[in-house]
Amino acid sequence: MKTRTKTKLRRAAFVIAFLLPAFAFLAVFLYYPIEETFRLSVMKSSGLGKDVFVGLRNYAKLLQDDDFKAGLWHVLTWAFWSIVIQIPLAFTIAFSLTFYKNKLTGPLRAIYYLANVLPSAITAMIGMLVFSPGYGIINRLAEAFHLTWVTEIDFFGNPSIAFWTVFAVATWAYTGFPIIYLMARMEQIPTEIRDAAELEGVSGWKYARFIVLPMVAYPIRILAVLCTVGSLKLFDLPYLLTKGGPGNATTTLGIILYQQGFINWQYGIAAAIGVVIFVLSLGFTVLQFSASAGKDSYEG
Amino acid sequence: MRRSLQLLLAVLCLAPIGARADGKVKLTVWGRDLLDGAPDHAYVTALVKNFKAKNPDIELEYVSLGDPGLSDKTKIAMANDTAPDLVQSWGGSVMGGYADAGRLLDVTADLASVPTSAAARLAMSWKGKTYGVAPFFAIAGIFANEGIFKKFDLKVPTTIDELEKVADTLKAKGIQPFACGAKDKWPPLAMYMYLVNRFGGDAFSQAQGRKARFDSDPFVQAAQKYQDWVKKGYFGPKPLGEGYGDAQQQMATGKAAMHITGSWMCGQYSNPKFTDQTLGFYAFPELKGGKGKATDLAGMTDIGFVVTKKAEAKKEAAVRFLKYALSSEAAAVEPGRISSVPGVKAPSRMTGQAADVFGKAQTVQFWWDQDLPPAVTSPLNDTIQTFFLANTTVKASLTKFEALVEENMGAVK
Repeated sequence: MKTRTKTKLRRAAFVIAFLLPAFAFLAVFLYYPIEETFRLSVMKSSGLGKDVFVGLRNYAKLLQDDDFKAGLWHVLTWAFWSIVIQIPLAFTIAFSLTFYKNKLTGPLRAIYYLANVLPSAITAMIGMLVFSPGYGIINRLAEAFHLTWVTEIDFFGNPSIAFWTVFAVATWAYTGFPIIYLMARMEQIPTEIRDAAELEGVSGWKYARFIVLPMVAYPIRILAVLCTVGSLKLFDLPYLLTKGGPGNATTTLGIILYQQGFINWQYGIAAAIGVVIFVLSLGFTVLQFSASAGKDSYEG
Repeated sequence: MRRSLQLLLAVLCLAPIGARADGKVKLTVWGRDLLDGAPDHAYVTALVKNFKAKNPDIELEYVSLGDPGLSDKTKIAMANDTAPDLVQSWGGSVMGGYADAGRLLDVTADLASVPTSAAARLAMSWKGKTYGVAPFFAIAGIFANEGIFKKFDLKVPTTIDELEKVADTLKAKGIQPFACGAKDKWPPLAMYMYLVNRFGGDAFSQAQGRKARFDSDPFVQAAQKYQDWVKKGYFGPKPLGEGYGDAQQQMATGKAAMHITGSWMCGQYSNPKFTDQTLGFYAFPELKGGKGKATDLAGMTDIGFVVTKKAEAKKEAAVRFLKYALSSEAAAVEPGRISSVPGVKAPSRMTGQAADVFGKAQTVQFWWDQDLPPAVTSPLNDTIQTFFLANTTVKASLTKFEALVEENMGAVK
């Protein structure tokens, strides 16, 4: 009896010894910052001097702030259209590259993924090179072909268009990852399934819709979660391309957080925005997974 | 044994504070510019190199952080009290925030006898104490393309009416009157500061001192004028789509004829490798019947350094660095900026013109986004950017800004 207890204790110690370093790392670099963010979100803090407890006043301020509301609307819109545009686009490209292989597949795969590995600053520069009013490729081409109506489009300066310009640049940059991710999953589909489908006369669109799509449903769900969380945290491309302007036409929660924390020295409000992003990310993730729990037709 | 151990511990604890084993004192400086010798960075490059050569007893470590890297990292370091010995600073309320938090070292007495301009000393002081030096000063004015003005027989305007006539003529000739770069949010500030001054004199000081509102008449009139000019196309068809770099290119290529911006551009606009146009620097015009004068300037330090409390134990070395930074020998290397150091000759005709304008200044208003508390600075630039939107009601934008100011600085008394 004693020996069994001793063995159990030894095993527990062994397990703890292995878990402890990882837990310590997470505690220092993840859990503690999260706790600090929550604490700071109920404080008035400039980062210098003493913090003052203000309860939920920072959150109340956010609810009255037009910029915050605009930023929230933009990231939710961004998340929706990312899922609606980027994932189907990625699925179509991944399907084509996987099931219609030829000499171009390898280079095309690299080309599609290339945009994803570029630093955001380079992606933004490319975006400006395409859409800039002065030296932009679109503007230059429109001038060359005397397309006056195109030259008149102010891609970054028109509040109604700027958001979609930034979104277009992001779609180009961010679709590479879903393509590679879905391709990796599609390549795992046994060839027997495709052979059987072909014998039954199922090919092309029907094969993609009724056989491949259900089989990559789980990765698509993960991509949807990543798209949503990525959209909620969005900062780099809108900031580099437009700084959230004109006005607040392209602002995001990330940009407002940066401005409040680093420029306006309002750490409490910045932390409150951080908490909103955290809660929304967690909420959407749980929602997206629970809404489709147990519906995976193929887990491979 | 125990005594020896205590002694050893004491020595180990004191080691980082005092001189190092090789007798050198280490100074760490955080700056914005790279030490690559580029015209814009010539001063800092030479400063670091020459200071090291002249002070073998000091080990100088200069860390280049870029923009906004310098301000972001400094903010975090000041909050955590992990700032280096010296930090590049533009003075004003940002420096004041660090001073209020007790992060900066008072060097008023150490620098009292060092000659510099009154405006530069004021910018690097907060609540009567001096925390650093500013070897260069930047003022805003009109960079005018003299070649284009000559071609169309135009005179550099001295009144707002003349300015509008010049702009109308230029526009009719197919030249964009003003380069701006409104996409970057901060560039339109200089012109708005001048317009408010020309309409209302010390309106900003009144509003800052909470004796007037930021949506009072001078602010609204200036904003309205700004928006009218936008609607007239003075800033081109797509001002919000163009950043500050685009504005510089428009001036460099002669696409635009005027640029209201800081004199830090003197070096670049004088550089034949950057532009083949002949540009000059002039004061912003007066408004007939207005309260402000052409000698009321907007500007601030261009490059400056402050000492932090971290350097308390090596104050002598830090002050030596500040004094050298403010010496005529160090400042003479600069190819473009207006020097705050007496006796330093202007490096170019354009800097000379800017120095002349600066020399006649009766008042110098610091950049609003450096003079107001940080809590309202980015909303200020956001507000000014909205003047470029045709459907913006400028009064409503300013009233919204005033509400934020009230929250952070109190209501008008």
